Amino acid sequence: MRTRAIAFALTLWAVLTLNFFLPRLLPGDPLNALFDRDTASYVADDALRARLAAYYGLDRPLGAQYVEYLLETARGNLGWSIWLNRPVSQLILEHLPWTLLLTLSALALASLIGIGLGAEAGWRRGTRLDRVLVTLSIIATNAPVYVVGMMLLILFAARLDWFPLAGGRTPFARYDSPLAAAQDIGWHWILPATTLILHLVGAKFLIVRNTMVSVLGEDFMLMARAKGLREIRLKRAHALRNALLPFVAQLGAQMGMAITGTIFIETTFDYPGMGRLIFDAVAARDYPVIQGVFVVVALVVLTANLVADWINARLDPRVEVK
Amino acid sequence: MATPSDTTRLSVRDLRVHFPTASSIVRAVDGISFEVRAGETFAIVGETGSGKTTTARAILGLHPRGTVQGSIRFGDRELTELSEDEWRALRGRHLALAAQGVGTAFDPVYRIGEQIAELLREHLSLTSAEIRARVQALAQQVGLEARHLVAYPHQLSGGEKQRAMLAMALACDPDVLIVDEPTSGQDVCARAEIVALLRQLRAERGMSLILISHDLAAVAQLADRVAVLYAGKLIEVGETRAILESPRHPYTWGLLNAYPNMTTTRDLRGIRGELPDPAHPPSGCRFHPRCTQVVEQCRLVEPPLVETNGRWIACHLGGLQTLLRARDLRKTFSLNGADAPTIEAVRGASIEVYEGEVVALIGETGSGKSTLARLIVGLEQRDDGRIELEGEEMTTLRGEALARARRRIQYIAQDPFESLSPRLTIAEIVREPLDIQHIGTPGERDARVRDALAAVSLPTTPEFLSRHIHELSGGQLQRVAIARALVLDPKLLIADEPVSMLDASEQAKLINLLKEIQTMRGMGLLLISHDLALVRKVADRIVVMRRGEIVEEGPASRVITTPRDEYTRALVRAAPVFTAEIGD
Amino acid sequence: MRANETLFGGIVVALFVFIALFAPLLAPYDPHALVGKPVESPSAAHPLGTNDLGQDILSELIFGARISLIVALTASALTVALGLLIGGIAGYAGGWVDVAWMRSVDVLLTLPRLPLLILLAALLGAGLPQTIAIIALLFWPHTARVMRAQTQSLRQRGYVRMAQQFGGSTAYVLTRHIVPALAPLIAFEWVMAASRAVALEAGLAFLGIGDATAKSWGLMMRFALNFKGLLLGDRWLWWLMPPALALTLLMLALTFIGIGLEKRWQPRLTRHA
Repeated sequence: MRTRAIAFALTLWAVLTLNFFLPRLLPGDPLNALFDRDTASYVADDALRARLAAYYGLDRPLGAQYVEYLLETARGNLGWSIWLNRPVSQLILEHLPWTLLLTLSALALASLIGIGLGAEAGWRRGTRLDRVLVTLSIIATNAPVYVVGMMLLILFAARLDWFPLAGGRTPFARYDSPLAAAQDIGWHWILPATTLILHLVGAKFLIVRNTMVSVLGEDFMLMARAKGLREIRLKRAHALRNALLPFVAQLGAQMGMAITGTIFIETTFDYPGMGRLIFDAVAARDYPVIQGVFVVVALVVLTANLVADWINARLDPRVEVK
Repeated sequence: MATPSDTTRLSVRDLRVHFPTASSIVRAVDGISFEVRAGETFAIVGETGSGKTTTARAILGLHPRGTVQGSIRFGDRELTELSEDEWRALRGRHLALAAQGVGTAFDPVYRIGEQIAELLREHLSLTSAEIRARVQALAQQVGLEARHLVAYPHQLSGGEKQRAMLAMALACDPDVLIVDEPTSGQDVCARAEIVALLRQLRAERGMSLILISHDLAAVAQLADRVAVLYAGKLIEVGETRAILESPRHPYTWGLLNAYPNMTTTRDLRGIRGELPDPAHPPSGCRFHPRCTQVVEQCRLVEPPLVETNGRWIACHLGGLQTLLRARDLRKTFSLNGADAPTIEAVRGASIEVYEGEVVALIGETGSGKSTLARLIVGLEQRDDGRIELEGEEMTTLRGEALARARRRIQYIAQDPFESLSPRLTIAEIVREPLDIQHIGTPGERDARVRDALAAVSLPTTPEFLSRHIHELSGGQLQRVAIARALVLDPKLLIADEPVSMLDASEQAKLINLLKEIQTMRGMGLLLISHDLALVRKVADRIVVMRRGEIVEEGPASRVITTPRDEYTRALVRAAPVFTAEIGD
Repeated sequence: MRANETLFGGIVVALFVFIALFAPLLAPYDPHALVGKPVESPSAAHPLGTNDLGQDILSELIFGARISLIVALTASALTVALGLLIGGIAGYAGGWVDVAWMRSVDVLLTLPRLPLLILLAALLGAGLPQTIAIIALLFWPHTARVMRAQTQSLRQRGYVRMAQQFGGSTAYVLTRHIVPALAPLIAFEWVMAASRAVALEAGLAFLGIGDATAKSWGLMMRFALNFKGLLLGDRWLWWLMPPALALTLLMLALTFIGIGLEKRWQPRLTRHA
C-alpha cells in the first residue's frame, strides 16, 4: 500500500506541475495576454486584474512562482474566476457535489447491472441471450455519449414530457422538506444518470462477461464441478468471484471514463456540475477556472484509483498488499 | 490391508467419447470395457492422447451431453442416464476425482482449508465444528499441517497441492477415487512421497482406486491390475506383476522398453512410428502401423479384447509372437581319425527370440555359442533338435519353402574379411543374395543395394560401390556385411561377435547401428558375444551358455544384477562392469 | 456475429471514405454557402433541409465525413507512431530505459483525459492541427503500453534470440523479426485509435472547443442543440439525427474491424487488465 500511496502523491505532484507549466509554456502566452492591453483577453476590471496578477505572480522568478503556486493550492486557493469574479474554489465547491452525485451513482448502478448481466451472459455463453447482450453492449459503448443523451432528452423530456428538460433541480425552488428536495433533485437526476449508465454499462458488461467465459474454461472450475457443488455456488462463489478481479482492476480506468462522460452529459442536460462549469469556462476563456477544475478532477480520479487498488488487493490474494 | 473383494464397484461397457470439431470427430475413447472391484487398485496407463483423462472425466460425467455413449454402472445405477442434479449428488461424495495438473486445480481466491470444507458442506450435514475437525483430520492423514490449510493455493508447492487435492477427494469417503496423474510434474522425492501416501490410504480405507498414469513405476507400486490404453482402445489388461514381467501385447512390451528406470541397464528404445491422430485413427488394429509382427488382417479388422488365463489382449495374433524357437539342439564334431575324440559342441540347447527383441548369447570361447548360431542359420547341420521360425518348423521345409525361410534369417560373422569376397566389388557383394535368389529386376536389385548401404550409413556413390574390400576399414566392412544381410529384408538377424575385431570407437558405432536398424525394421536380433559389458547396453534378454548347455536365461537387468547360476556370477564378476561404473 | 464483423466494418468505412473523397461531386451545394431560408424542412432541393443559417444540411453531412476521416486517420497514425516508438523501444531495450519511460507513461495514463484535453485546447486555441495533435498526445500512452508489452514478449522469443546470437544487429532484428510480428497489433491499435479519435473530435466540436470553421459532425450537433426551437416538430430528426447516426455508424464500423482483427492476431485473448 505504501508504494501506491507514493505513486498517488507523485502523480498528484505531476498534475500540479503540469497545471503550472502548461499555460506558461504554450505558444500564444495566454497568461500574459490577460495583462496586455493590446490583446482581446485583457482584463479590464482593475481589482480583478490585481487579484489575478497576485495569483499568477508573473513578475517573479519561475521557481518562486512554482513554490508559491504549490503552497497556495495546498491552502485551497485555486485562483479567481475571470468571468464570474469569484474564487475558483467556491465555484468548485458549488459544482462538485452535483458531479459526484451523478458520477458515483451511475458508476455504482452500472457496475451492478454490468456484473449481473455479464455473469449471466458469460455463464450462458453462446446462447441467444448472450449474443444479443454482447451486440447491444458494443453498440452502447460506441455510441457517443452525447448522442445517447440527446436522444433520451428528445424522447423523454421534449416529446413525452416525463422528465425535466434541463438543470439539476427546478430553478428557484423552495422545498418544504428534505424529501421534497430529494424528489425534485432525483427527478432531474434520472435522465442524465440513465445516459451515463448506458454509456458505462457496455464496457463493464463486456469485461465481466469475457472474463467469466475465460474463467469457466479454467481447470479449477472443472474441479469444482467434479466436487459436485451446486450450480449457484459454482456460478457465484467461484466463477464470478474470479471474474470480478479484472473488473475491479479496471475500476480506476472506469472512473476516468465516467468523468469524461459526465462532462458531455452535463453539457447536454445543462446539469450544474463540474462539466458544465468547465464548458462554460472554456467558452469564456476563463483559465483559472479551467485549471482549477482540472486539478480537482484529477484529484478525484486519483483517489478513485487508489480506492480501486485497495479493493483489488483485498479481493485477490495473489496481489501482495505492502 | 484391504484386499480386493469380488464385488464389482464400477463396470464400464463399450464406453465411447467422441468430440466433434470443426472438421472432424475426435474419437478420444472408442469402445472400452473394464471392471473395477471393491477395494482394488486399477491402473489405466497410456501415453498422450490415449484417452486416459477422457475416461476419468467420463466416469464423473464431466463431458458435455451427447459426447458420451456406452454404459457406466456404479453399483446398481446407470451413470450415463443421470440428470445433472443426480450427478451432483454423486460427484465428490461417492465418486471422487483428484485431477491432473494441481497447478490450476484450485480456486486461487480461497484458502485450501475452505475449499476442502466446501465439499463437506455441500454433501454432508455436519456442524461447523464437525467440519473443522474433519478437515484437520484429513490434513493430518495426507501429511499437511494447519498452516497449509490457511494458505492460498499459490503459496503451496506442487507436492503440497497434490496432497491437498487428495485430502479434498477423500473428504466424503468416496467409494471410488480416481487419481489422475498424481506424480507427473513432481520432483523425485515428492513422487515417492505421493506413492507412499497412496499406498497408505489404500490400506486404511476400503475404497476402489482408479489410477490414471503414464508413470509405470508408480503403477508397479500401487496397482493390483493394469489396463493399457492406446489410441482410445484397451489393448491389454491383466495383473500388474504379470504384465510388467511379461507383457504380451507388442505395444505394452515397447512401452516398457521405452521407460527409463533404475533397474534396466539397457539404453532406452523407442517405438518406431508415431502416436496416431485421434481424429483419424488407423484402420483395423490401431497399433498396426508401428507393430513389427503385422499381418494383413491387422490392417483391416480391429482385434477384439480376448481373455486368456486372466490376461486380456487385443491382438489378432494373440500377443507378442515368438520369432524363433530352437529346441534341444545337438551337434557333435568328430575330429579326423576313427578313434578320434568327439566334441559335443552343443548339448541340448534351447533358445527363443521374440518379435522385435534383442537376445544376447553369452559365453566363453568353446562354450558352443557360435556353433549354436550356425546351427540356427543352417550353416551347420544339426544332429538333433527342432527349429521353428515364426511358428514354422524348419526341418519339414524343402525346396522353395526352405529357401524362403532361409531369407528370413540372416547371419553376420565375426570376421568380415572372411565372409566377404575379396574379388567382388562392394556393390556385387551386397547384391549377391538378391542375384542368387533371383529377386526382382537388376534395376530393382541395385535400388535395394543402395537402400541397404544408406541404412548402414555408407556412401552410395558409384566410386564407392566399385571398391574392393581391401580398400575399406574393419568397421566399414562390417557395415557392408550388415547391408548384405539387410538386403533380403530378414525378420531375424544373428550376429556372431560382430564387433570383437574392431577398435573400441568402431565397436560403439556399430552396436548402435545394429540397434537402430533392429528397432526401425522390427527385426529380432540374436547377438553372440563374450563381452558382457557390451551386450548389457543392448540386450533385452541374456542367455548364458557353458560347455554346450544353456545355464541361465532371463531379462538382462535381472541376469546381471541377480544372477542365479554360479557360472553367470563368475562371468559377471570377471566382466569389467564395476570398474566401468566409476567412470560411467 | 462471426467474421462478418470485419467485412461489415470494412464496407462501411470504405463507403465513408468514398463519400469523403468525392464530397464535392456528391454534395448538392457548398456547405458554407447560404442556399436557402433558415431551418427549412426537407424538400426536393434540400433532402435534409437547412440549418439555422440557411446552409444545406445534407452537404454539411457529406463534407463532415472529410473532417472526421482526416482526424481519424492522422490522429490515429500519430498515436500509433508515438506509441510504437516509445513503447517499442522501451520493450526492446529493457532495463532502466524501460522502467523510466513506462513509469512516466503510467503517470500520464492516470491523468483524467478530457479535462486535460480541454485545458490544452483552451490554451492552444482552436484549429484542426491542434485538435489532431492533442488527441494523439492523449491517446499515445495507452498504445505505448500495449506495444511495449508485446515487444517485450517478442524479444524473449527463441528465434529473436537466435538472430541476435548469429550476430544480427539491432536494426536487423527489429526490421526482420520484431516489426513484422507487431504488424497485426499495429493494425488493431490503429483502427481502435481511429475510432476513439473520431469520437473525441466530434465531442470536442460539440463542446465548442476546436475549429469552428471546420464543418464537422460534432459542430453540426452543437449548433443544432443551441437552436432554441430544435425540439419543436421534427426539426431534430433531420438536423440532429443525421450527424449523430453518421458518427455512431463510423465508430461502430471501425470497432467491428478492430474486433475482427483482434480475433485474428490473438486467438486466446487474456481479457485481464
